Amino acid sequence: MRDKLTSLPDAISLVQDGDTVALQNMATQASPMALVRELIRQGRQRIRLVVLVGGMAVDWLAAAGVIDRLIGAAVTMEQFGLCQQYRRAVEHGRIAVEEISETILNARLGAGARNLPFLPTRGAIGTDLIAQNPENLKMLEDPFGGPPVLACRKLVPDVALIHAHRADRQGNVQYEPTILWPDIGIMPKAARRVIVSAEEIVDTEVLRKHPERTILPGFVVDAVVEVPYGAHPTSFFPRYGYDARFHQAWADAARDDAAAAAFLERFVSGPPDQPAYLEAVGGPETRRRIEAWEDSA
Amino acid sequence: MTSDWRTSPPAADYAVDELMIATLAAQFRDGDQACNGMASFLPVAAFMLARLTHAPDLVWLASAAGLDPRPARIPASTLEAPLWRDSVMYIEQYGDFWDLALNGRWLKKFCVGAAQLDQYGNANNSIIGTSFTRPTIRLPGTAGLADMGSIGKTLYYWVPNHSPRTLVRKVDFVSAAGYLGGGDERERLGLTGGPELVVSNLAVMDFEAVSKRMRLRSVHPGVSVRQVQEATGFPLPVSEGNVSETPVPTAAQVQLIREVIDPAGMRKRDFRRAGT
Repeated sequence: MRDKLTSLPDAISLVQDGDTVALQNMATQASPMALVRELIRQGRQRIRLVVLVGGMAVDWLAAAGVIDRLIGAAVTMEQFGLCQQYRRAVEHGRIAVEEISETILNARLGAGARNLPFLPTRGAIGTDLIAQNPENLKMLEDPFGGPPVLACRKLVPDVALIHAHRADRQGNVQYEPTILWPDIGIMPKAARRVIVSAEEIVDTEVLRKHPERTILPGFVVDAVVEVPYGAHPTSFFPRYGYDARFHQAWADAARDDAAAAAFLERFVSGPPDQPAYLEAVGGPETRRRIEAWEDSA
Repeated sequence: MTSDWRTSPPAADYAVDELMIATLAAQFRDGDQACNGMASFLPVAAFMLARLTHAPDLVWLASAAGLDPRPARIPASTLEAPLWRDSVMYIEQYGDFWDLALNGRWLKKFCVGAAQLDQYGNANNSIIGTSFTRPTIRLPGTAGLADMGSIGKTLYYWVPNHSPRTLVRKVDFVSAAGYLGGGDERERLGLTGGPELVVSNLAVMDFEAVSKRMRLRSVHPGVSVRQVQEATGFPLPVSEGNVSETPVPTAAQVQLIREVIDPAGMRKRDFRRAGT
């Protein structure tokens, strides 16, 4: 069996400049932030990012000049407001947005996973999203005589970036308590390469105790990395909540380009590895606070 | 407390957010299924209020992630795990939620918040400006709203800041289909359902049956028709020729909202954020 356990730098070396990268993310939840920081540290450019709902990860990638196109349904940090660096980059034409609805994203990734040219949806019919995206969205007659549907062209990301609760060295991935967002359900099946960071790497014997929690077979995964608290500052249910203070600090910094750059230097390019990052964001006290879900009440 | 909600008198002391919550709650009944997205404190409070009073069997898919949860109170996020604590089932978005929502038999009603809303009930959460590629303001994006507008749902809009900037003649971008250009345009695309009510901080609006234009149904106590018209970016005809006063919440409803559902006052955040 191939050993897929590797380091953060080696895992992210599987991402090339210009790649289409599917990123697990839901506003303030479940984002593979350690993988995102490594993308920035390695200076990737011209990345086309695919997200369901982007949050701080998108804002960081925008601030660092990593992405020039975004395919997604929304970008927001919910209670912490709009992603200001991303927003400004879009408003100044540095990032092109291909805005799609949730069912369009699901259809496009689903078609990618199943090797179909497209999948239809009834969502978004009548909206301006369709005219904005003629390359990927077309109204289609129902061949069986019903009302028209929206054909959504298949999307095959080059890479999917995922964070999970545990994995073994072969890349079998467990998630707890279950899959919630389509990131995990469909992105890895649509993408050509899959990089997984996991809270812990365990022996395969541990996975065998709860095979119902294994959500990805190792053969779809190219690299696994052990990264405890790898989703910080986003929440990773049920292990830890989001870091509200850190989100607010970024939201404040992101309003000013110099402050945003200083923030990224301090927390992204500065710390050489995950232990150094965890110290920089507050060490044991921060870990205690997010594990108690104190900020989320 | 829930035993006396039927006989409770109109509240002498209430805030407009509580009136809006009670108005939204009245749209949801036993046998309905409701769901909410992010930053949706008013709909969440409305579902919780309905379940504590007239609709104990209203099914709630919190954050479209947890079935019938039992949160202690409304937390700081309407998307994060504390809202879906003690769920009966976790709903997977790709495999479960959109199947249940797209099917048409369930989740027939949906509450929508949007940056702009126009006279035909089209909603915009995408961009402000005339160019999609170089917008004046890049808004969050449509998320699941574009889907909800086109799959036969009855839509209830909530507008915390009724102004000519939020209620506009024509939206800058149609992120969610209302009645499009009015008349039968929605029907001609094969779309059913559509906008039903607009509950703002000043008034309640509905849509005229043939033209599908928004019109004024009731004004909140202390608000004049003229005040509503001046705060609206298009002419607002009066529903059925006369305009009534929006019923105020009952004392029991206000007490439930303040003491049980949302003691931390999260619902006020919708109003602070409005217009920014």
